[in-house]
Amino acid sequence: MATGTGQVPRDWVPVEHRLFGLDRRTFAAGFTALGIALVLIYGPQVLNAAIPWHNEIRAGEVLDLGDGGTAVPPVGWQLEKGTLTGEGAASATNLDVVLASGGATIEMDGAAFEGSANAFLDQVIQSEGDEPGMTSARGSVTTDAGLVGVVESSTGPSGDTVDVAFKMAVGTAEATDAAPALLVRVRTAAGQFERYQDEVAAMIRSISPGVAR
Amino acid sequence: MTAVPEENAVTTVAEEKLAQREAIEESGWGQPFRFVQLDNVAFWVYVLGVGGGALTMVRTYLPGVAFYTPALAGGVVLFGLYLIPWLLLLRHHNRFTAQPARLLATGFVWGGVAATFWIALPANTALLSIWAKLGGTTFADDWGAGLSAPINEEFGKALGLVLLIGLAPRLVRSAYDGFIIGAFIGLGFQVSEDVLYVYNGASQQYGVNQLGSSLQVFVVRGATGIVSHALFSAIFCAGLMWVLGRSGERNVVRGVLTMLMAMVFHFAWDDTTGLSGGTWLGAVLPFVIAAIELTALFYVLRHAARQERTWMRELLGPEVDNGVVDPALLDAVSGLRKDRKKYRKHVHSRAKARHRIEAASDLAREIALAGGAESAGVKHARSEVLRVRTG
Repeated sequence: MATGTGQVPRDWVPVEHRLFGLDRRTFAAGFTALGIALVLIYGPQVLNAAIPWHNEIRAGEVLDLGDGGTAVPPVGWQLEKGTLTGEGAASATNLDVVLASGGATIEMDGAAFEGSANAFLDQVIQSEGDEPGMTSARGSVTTDAGLVGVVESSTGPSGDTVDVAFKMAVGTAEATDAAPALLVRVRTAAGQFERYQDEVAAMIRSISPGVAR
Repeated sequence: MTAVPEENAVTTVAEEKLAQREAIEESGWGQPFRFVQLDNVAFWVYVLGVGGGALTMVRTYLPGVAFYTPALAGGVVLFGLYLIPWLLLLRHHNRFTAQPARLLATGFVWGGVAATFWIALPANTALLSIWAKLGGTTFADDWGAGLSAPINEEFGKALGLVLLIGLAPRLVRSAYDGFIIGAFIGLGFQVSEDVLYVYNGASQQYGVNQLGSSLQVFVVRGATGIVSHALFSAIFCAGLMWVLGRSGERNVVRGVLTMLMAMVFHFAWDDTTGLSGGTWLGAVLPFVIAAIELTALFYVLRHAARQERTWMRELLGPEVDNGVVDPALLDAVSGLRKDRKKYRKHVHSRAKARHRIEAASDLAREIALAGGAESAGVKHARSEVLRVRTG
């Protein structure tokens, strides 16, 4: 009868512990970690998909854009990110607002930028790189409060996008150059922008830099 | 001094030697760490997690890597430098039955790649959306981070410890092992998250003043990072080891309470603004929370080190009997800061005390590596202890 040498190689797995080439003694740690990881990754996502939004904009509600700046969001849209006036303090240079309705979204991002609204829109486009699609010539838009914005629209495989850039101040060139910048980005499915055009236009016209400016 | 009968002396030496062997066996000290284990499920889950995290990392950074190079480079360099004092500090605490560097690096990578990008990023995004749906956007802004991160991030990081137990069951035994490995996993997470914050901060400003923006993030995150992920994970993972009780020091109640404490600290760190209600408390609260957290950290460390200190005493026991290590030195090398301080006073020299403690620690390591047998390493380390003791 053959006898062993008494020296067991360190990585030797006895046959009774093997299953499909794997060491069954490692199953507990490995599969427990895998199970918990999958719950942590996918559990919240499944829950999030199951919970509908109930954060509808009601008539009379106003968005806080920071530093006294405001906008009147379209009634019935869901506020997914952002602060309404009287609920908290928004930052004009670190603003993040998202409104959604059907397949359309309106994002409003505030940033610190020294220069004109036109230069700010250049900076935004440069930072995002070239995307496939057609871009329209730039135009200008004036809000009821006298803010002058620069508008550019584009259409591509991912849908229609309208970007409107503002400097949140009215007055001298120095004052507007130094003011925080605001980018309003509207995204819809391809060819669907007209459906939301009136609501979006009304909201953009309502953007105000606040009494402080 | 009473003479010990020869027979009793032999019995005592044999018992000491047996205790030494048991300490080596229980602590796993001296065992090599092998990362690639194709028959180990934990290895494949680790590869899946780090692979998934790396993929998300590439998807996150790749589209803007050219435009945001100054911010990213600034973030990597600044937080790379920030790592150095942290690594030195953790190396100092990786005492007693010290963990191999490769095992700690494996934990660090899990924290920096898998826990951050594979688990926390998608989980946090979904959870923040859930809080906004349930409580409104202002509620989510004030409390969302603190209600999300302590759950998925602490468990996500601790999974790295669970996988390391699967990869090196004999090496990861005590609560102190959990404490040190947890700190490394947390540090990896912290630095990776900091670089992501630099990138997000620069993209939020559309790339304007990228270096200034990365410097700003570095100052804020660097300062608040002193009591952040490395601390939370060290506490959480020590608690997890008490729950698992792998070295016979099982204490489920203490373990669960310790894990909860780490999660509460994480909540307070994330939601300082919400807790202060936007008042002057916001300026004071971070310092109060930091003081409480550091006190708790050292409390956990002291308790977690008990088992390791016992092993260290048992490991060097025979060396006390043969006169290589004196009892005062044994107390210092197996003790806490106050014991080492006491020893410094005892020998009236900081340098001598440090040399002797390090030499005794080297001897313990060589004994563990030799499995309690005599080896060239043990003989040399023993001669070194004698040299620095008589020098």
